Amino acid sequence: MFANVIDILSQYWELFLIGQYPHGPLGGLVNTLILASLALIIAFPLSVLLAIARTSPFGIFRHPVTVWVYVMRGIPLIMIIFWTYFLVPSLIGRNIGGFTTMLCTLVLYQSAYLCEIVRGGLQSLPAGQVEASRALGLGYFRTMFFILLPQALYNSIPSLISQFISIIKETSLGYIINAQEMTFAANQVNNQLLVKPFEVYFILAVTYYILCFGLTQLAQWFERRIEKKRQGSDLLAT
Amino acid sequence: MIVFSKVNKWYGEYQALADVNAEVKKGEVVVVCGPSGSGKSTLIRTVNRLEEIQGGQILYNGHDVYGVDANLNSLRSRVGFVFQNFNLFPHMSVLDNIMLAPLKLKGLNTSYVKNKALELLDMVGMSHKANAYPNQLSGGQQQRVAIARALAMEPPAMLFDEPTSALDPEMVGEVLSVMKSLAKEGMTMMCVTHEMNFAREVADKVWFMDAGKILETSDPETFFQNPTHPRAQSFIRDIRG
Ligand SMILES: Nc1ncnc2c1ncn2[C@@H]1O[C@H](COP(=O)(O)OP(=O)(O)OP(=O)(O)O)[C@@H](O)[C@H]1O
Ligand SMILES: [Mg+2]
Repeated sequence: MFANVIDILSQYWELFLIGQYPHGPLGGLVNTLILASLALIIAFPLSVLLAIARTSPFGIFRHPVTVWVYVMRGIPLIMIIFWTYFLVPSLIGRNIGGFTTMLCTLVLYQSAYLCEIVRGGLQSLPAGQVEASRALGLGYFRTMFFILLPQALYNSIPSLISQFISIIKETSLGYIINAQEMTFAANQVNNQLLVKPFEVYFILAVTYYILCFGLTQLAQWFERRIEKKRQGSDLLAT
Repeated sequence: MIVFSKVNKWYGEYQALADVNAEVKKGEVVVVCGPSGSGKSTLIRTVNRLEEIQGGQILYNGHDVYGVDANLNSLRSRVGFVFQNFNLFPHMSVLDNIMLAPLKLKGLNTSYVKNKALELLDMVGMSHKANAYPNQLSGGQQQRVAIARALAMEPPAMLFDEPTSALDPEMVGEVLSVMKSLAKEGMTMMCVTHEMNFAREVADKVWFMDAGKILETSDPETFFQNPTHPRAQSFIRDIRG
């Protein structure tokens, strides 16, 4: 079997890596990474705003976001993919590709999860931080931006990386709406070979695993670093 | 400078401050003492409105702290507040901790603010740690930085809520000596503290609180030798051990 795997890899590595590019659309692993990264890059600032609203003392900001978070976290991702797939074209009056649909979906879905991570980071800060800042005369927003968010976001880095891992795995669902990514590419390979599905999907699984394992390690490295810093080591000494 | 009139505060059903009337005059050092839970923290925190009150009035430097048109942020920037747990910002260097408020609130230029911050650090004996981060400092050092930070906005009065209670005994002295030198320079100070020697040496007035009331306000001499209120008498017996 391993000989077969090597064979498939040496013959189709380009398709796994970049899809049909440059003869067709970009796909494969590269597009998986682009899709996941874009989703994170767009969803993250959005989630920070949502988290600020969700911790707001004002119900008009807090309640709608709370509802949003509960709804997004309470339904399967695939439902949201279908809704985006059918709803967005009818809203904007033209069709959008699988990649864009998947990106929109992931941004909507992940904004809720990331919001909860940021909120957790904000709420786990000692109350004394807010008091000290307010006592200096810094207002709500200055306190948020200069005191709370920098600490909360830094402490959230491991969770944010874990969430990025989830996003990478979730991009594979893009397959069902023809988004060009790694699972889609693997399926194309399988369609050409027909008789070696186990090997093909083995390659796919291993690739996801390596990617996610590497990121898990990165998250743990950050976690240790943050823990050390809490205990007052010299990491930041200048 | 700080005038409390008929201040009342409830935590739900529990009355934490009951008809408090008192005044800290300009240049005075007032030490607030009393048993645990008597409302000392609550009282000092009402001065910059870290707590809301349900009745009465507090004037700070002529401004009505709880007035409808009070500009809370500008008012707070003119009250120096030092916490029991220092509450330095751990993601900023010592220097940045001190420079933050003057830079953001006064719009002064960086080099001026930095020079002022370095002067303050010198005053509290912490210049050598200007670029260190709070978690690299001992408790006493952190508290001295916190005092410098509170002074950075040049407040007309300083409030201290048990500034030495979280410190190891060998670090209490360094913080008290900074407070003493502030007092000597004529700073108006209101200090909640259990350091009775500090009260004896530095205070102009001692306020004794129990159950949300100020039961006695006298000069330290009288307070320690001849307290009038029975509760104050037993409090002093207790601290003498
Ligand atoms: N947030 C709160 N909610 C309810 N009750 C409170 C709250 N904060 C303080 N109290 C109560 O109000 C009373 C006064 O508290 P305060 O912290 O002012 O006492 P203190 O004199 O500073 O005591 P200590 O010497 O222990 O610091 C206490 O009985 C306390 O239990
Ligand atoms: Mg207290």
